[in-house]
Order: sequence, then C-alpha cells, then structure tokens
Amino acid sequence: MNYTWNWHIFLEPNPTGAGTYLDMLLAGLKVTIVTSLSAWVIALIFGTIVGILRSLPSRLATWIGFLYVEFFRNMPLLVQLFLWFFVLPELLPRTAGLWLKQMPNAPFYTAAVGIGLFMSARVAVQLAAGIGSLPRGQKMAATALGLTTLQTYRYVLLPMAFRIILPPLTSEFLNTVKNSAVAITIGLIELTGAARAMQEFSFQVFEAFSAATLMYLVINVIVVIGMRLLERAVAIPGYITGK
Amino acid sequence: MLANFDFDVIRRSLSYLFIDGMTFTLTLTALSATGGLIFGTLIALMRLSGYRVMGWIAGLYVDFMRSLPLVLVIFWFYFLVPYIGQWVTGSSRPIKVGAFASSLITFIMFEAAYFSEIMRAGIQSISRGQPAAASALGLTYAQTMRYVVLPQAFRNMLPVLLTQTIVLFQDTSLVYVLSIPDFLGAASKVAQRDGRLVEMYLFAALIYFTISCIASYCVRRLQSRIAIIR
Amino acid sequence: MIEISHVNKWYSPSFQVLKDCTTSVAKGEVVVVCGPSGSGKSTLIKCVNALEPFQDGSITIDGLKVNDSKTNLPKLRSRVGMVFQHFELFPHLKIIDNLCLAQQKVLGRGREEAIAKGRKLLERVGLKEQAEKFPAQLSGGQQQRVAIARALAMDPIAMLFDEPTSALDPEMISEVLDVMVDLAREGMTMMVVTHEMGFARKVAHRVIFMDRGEIVEDAKKDEFFGQPRSERAQQFLSKILSH
Repeated sequence: MNYTWNWHIFLEPNPTGAGTYLDMLLAGLKVTIVTSLSAWVIALIFGTIVGILRSLPSRLATWIGFLYVEFFRNMPLLVQLFLWFFVLPELLPRTAGLWLKQMPNAPFYTAAVGIGLFMSARVAVQLAAGIGSLPRGQKMAATALGLTTLQTYRYVLLPMAFRIILPPLTSEFLNTVKNSAVAITIGLIELTGAARAMQEFSFQVFEAFSAATLMYLVINVIVVIGMRLLERAVAIPGYITGK
Repeated sequence: MLANFDFDVIRRSLSYLFIDGMTFTLTLTALSATGGLIFGTLIALMRLSGYRVMGWIAGLYVDFMRSLPLVLVIFWFYFLVPYIGQWVTGSSRPIKVGAFASSLITFIMFEAAYFSEIMRAGIQSISRGQPAAASALGLTYAQTMRYVVLPQAFRNMLPVLLTQTIVLFQDTSLVYVLSIPDFLGAASKVAQRDGRLVEMYLFAALIYFTISCIASYCVRRLQSRIAIIR
Repeated sequence: MIEISHVNKWYSPSFQVLKDCTTSVAKGEVVVVCGPSGSGKSTLIKCVNALEPFQDGSITIDGLKVNDSKTNLPKLRSRVGMVFQHFELFPHLKIIDNLCLAQQKVLGRGREEAIAKGRKLLERVGLKEQAEKFPAQLSGGQQQRVAIARALAMDPIAMLFDEPTSALDPEMISEVLDVMVDLAREGMTMMVVTHEMGFARKVAHRVIFMDRGEIVEDAKKDEFFGQPRSERAQQFLSKILSH
C-alpha cells in the first residue's frame, strides 16, 4: 500500500483555525452525543405513547398506533430527514416556513426530531410487545383494585414492561447513535461528518476514519456497560425475566 | 400551496428515476441481500463451529460492524477498496473501483453481520435432536448443515430475513453520501437541477413508502401462513 | 348485596358463554360456584365487577348497577375485593407496596395509614415478616395470602374468589383455605369459584352449580350435597368426590 500514514495529523491545527484536528473530531463527537440523547428522549416519549395506544383494547387506538408505526418504519431515515428539512418549511404558511429555515442550528433540531420520531416507532413496537408479554391477569388485578386505566399503566404495566424490554431498548439506543450519522446529509457536523471534513482537508483518510471508528466503539462500550448497570439496579429480587 | 406544485417535473424525469435510479437501488438490494446472506451464514457457522479462535474472530467482526454507523462504513469502504484492490492485484497504484462495485462490497460486508445474527438464531432454534439424528444416519458435519440444519433455519427465519432485506432496501438510499444516482440520488439530482425539492422528495418518499408497505404486508402474510403450518 | 339477573354473554354470535344467569348473594352470605371447566363460572364472577363485559341482563352491587355507563366503575371495583387464580401480585413492588398501591392511589389514604393497615393485614394472614420482600421470593401459598390481604386492605363490602387454590401445589392449599374460612366465619360476603368441596361443606351457605354457561343448580349447601336435583350435578359431584 503506498499510503502515507501520519498519525501526528491529529495534533496539527485544523483549517477552521480553532484548535487541532483532534479538537475537530471531539467537537463532532459532542454533537453526536447531544443529538443522540435529544433524539432518544423524543423517541422514548412518543414511543411510550404510541406503544400504549397499540396495547389498548380499543380498535381505534390500535389502528392509530399501527398507522403511526407503519408511517415511520416504511421510509428510509434519510428521506424522512429530507422531508423535515427541505419539504416541511415549504408546506407551512410562509412566515412559519421562513422561521424554520432561518432557525440557527436547524440541522441539529431537524436531526433530533427526525431521528427521534423515526426511532419512536421502533420503541413503540418494543413497548407494545413488552406490555403484551405481561400476564393478562395483571391488568385485571389492577382494574379489580379500582385503579383507572391510566393508573394501571403508570403503576403496574409500564414499570414491568420497561424492565422486560431493557435489553432491546439498549440496542435501539445504540441504533439512535448510529443513525445520528445520517444527519451528515443535512449538514450536521457530527462525528462522521467531522471525520469526513478532516479527510477532505488533510487527505489523511484512514487516520480520520480510524479515530471516528474508535470513538463509536467507545460509545458502544460505555452504553452497554451503563445499561447493564441500570438493568442490575432495577432488577427485581427473585424475578427471572423471560419466564 | 399545492397550486405552486409542478408535478410535471416528476413525469418528465420518470424514466431517469426508475430505469436508472430504481434499477440501481433494486439490483444493489438484491445482490447485497444474497451476498450478505451467504457470508452471514458462513459467519454464523464459524461462530457456532466450536473452534474457539474462529468463533472469536467471527464474533468480533459482527460486534465491530454492528457498532458502526452505516454511513461511516460506506466511507471506509469507498476509500479502502481501491487500496485492497491494489494489494490483491499487485498493481502499482490504487485501482479504480466503480460506484456500484464499491457500494455492493460495502453492503455485503455490512449486512453479513446482521444476517449472521439472524441465521445464528435460526440455527440455534432447531432442536438438538435434528443434527443428532442426521449424524446417526451417517451424514458428515457439512452434510448435516447443508441438508438438515440450514434449510430448516432458513425457512424458520425467512420472515426475519425478508424484514431485514426491507431495511436494507431503505438503507441503500445512504449511498447518497457518495453522490451515486440510486433512486434517491436520481431524485435529488433532478430536484436540485430544476429547483423542485418539494415535489421530488415527496415523490421519492411516496415510492419508498409504497414499496416498503407492500413488501412488509407480504412478509406479514407469509409469517401468518408459516405460523399456521407449524 | 350482589344481584345477578338474566345475564347473557356471547364471545361471538355463535358462542354464548353465559345463558340467562340469575342469582344473588346476600350480605354475609358465602356462595360457592362450582362446575366443570369451561362452564362459565370464572366468566360469571368476572362479570360481577365488570372485568368482563356482558351484552344482556344486569348486575347490581349494593344497589349500584355494574353495566351502567353512569356508574363510577373504579370506585365500585375498589369496594369489591377480588382474588385471582394466579395471584397477580405486582412483581416489581415489595409485598407492603402491593398492599399500599391501591389504598393510596384509589382511596387516597396517606402513606402512613396505608402501611399501618397493610402491616395489620399481613399479620392477619401470617406474613408479617415478609413485608419487605418481593412477590417472586414467596411461595405460591404465601403469594395468594398476600393477594387476599391486598384485597382486604380496601375494606371491601364483598370478596370474589376466582379459583384461588387451583394454581397451588397441594401442600399449600390449606394455608390459603384457612384464611378464607376465617374470613367467612367473620361474616364477609363471599362469592367463591372453587372445586374445594371441603371448603364448601365447611362454610358455604349456598352452592351454585354451572354447566355450559347455565346455572343448573342453586341450592342451600345441605340440599346440594344431600340430593342434587339435576343429573349433571350428581355426575359432577360423584366425579369430584370419588377420590
């Protein structure tokens, strides 16, 4: 291979004038983390609501939940981001559209909302499955005690369902982190975008991508360890999940 | 608002969108799924082989691939494949690799990690009695896998494999980052040339949505039919 | 106390689970409901506090109509205790919290009051020591006794038991039945779906025999065990008492 490696490149100043190439990558890492966390919060909120809808006995609620999930699951994330970023401002009334277009940090907000909603459909599916895996008698017992439907979900069904789906939620969160890289297409300089920029300016392709790869691996390891600690923290004595 | 729409731009670009763009997308999807399944199955067999080093290497590959964003992997291979080609052919300079070949290699290597997890689950779901019965009949390990275990694993996992292929179909849109004219890339080119982003992106979304919906409906039908047969 | 009149229930137009069921339970009365599996006895008892809907007829509890949209169902249910075949304790809550949840959320009792009440009832069912444990750490018999205590914590005006001992290992049945016998002797109004004819002999006032969705026999205990009028009840009794 006649590729000239230069690992010192990370300590050389980057063309933006603000620090080294390493600083550039770390800034991208920060954007990746903040975007992923914001998207995840949105995914959890909407995913919980839709997941509950899908598990209700009402036909209408199940139908709405089904449509929501199908809508967000059957389009590529990239296309969804384009819809939010390029199409939505044009479809809104003039002033609202203009406001959206001129919003500072628009790529970040678009990414957080777009990825968040995309992931919320998957959280909803997991949660509905988790609720469905609980014995039918749990809901009955809560109802028989006089709890309302809302209370039944809040105090009985959701605490158990979320414990059961913690492992799949871990991988969904990791998917959120990975999906944040798609936002490079709407101009968000997250980790992959920063590596790409470094490659374009410095021509040190493989150093840039190696560093980004390493950072993604570290995020993965940290998340997996963190979630395992969380699983242990909320484990119920004597209860074996997946019975 | 709709009055400002120029739907004619879609009509004018239909042949470019479908004959060039969609053909690229569908070919890439089909070949990547096939290649990914073959390599994925090999990786799964390595993981379950009982040889520790082989299992360890396969596991590392799967975990590694699955912790990286597809976009980054696409960039990696785009820049790496010419050098690998140079190394393989012994040429003096990095060889030129076309957009299609580069994307195909990327998606096969990437999807192999995901397909291998599905096949591994499929192989593990088959009762231990099956390989035992096959060995008792005198079949070798390879024959047992080839004629007894893998066909069953494949059949049991077919709905999951197809669902993953639908995901793959959507993911191929990410070759956009290499400015390759797949379906979305083609739509985007027209959109930017004619300044018709709204129409073109809405149309692209509609087409992806329709194809994915029909495909996932078929998978659900297949799933319920399999469930009845069992 | 509980009036059931002409209740009909269909799962589908061709499948009727309850056929014109009419009976009542007076204050302080203990009524045992028995019958072969699939006879509709569990469905009937679940209709009493509207856990299962029914299409025709009416059920009133303490003068309140169950199948009336104006009735506050959660409030009504909170006044009727129910014990399930599979206990249905909430696995993520400590035993004491299982007893406190509905007291606090439905009756609006304060934490202190709820705990005091809970501890008193745990002592009564002989499980004072287990308050801080989780359900999965208790045996089946202990869990069912907790479930009875949980229902009693709501100060119910009547108790419904849906096959409370049929999911238990034989050696645990008596510890649960003992609690129920005590309850009956204290004058609790009880409707009990069970196959435990020994329990029926000991404390029941009346026995209802159901078959294929119909109430075939509704008689005083002595009459029922002495000379059941219907042939089906005779057959059932001879089968269940033969060993």
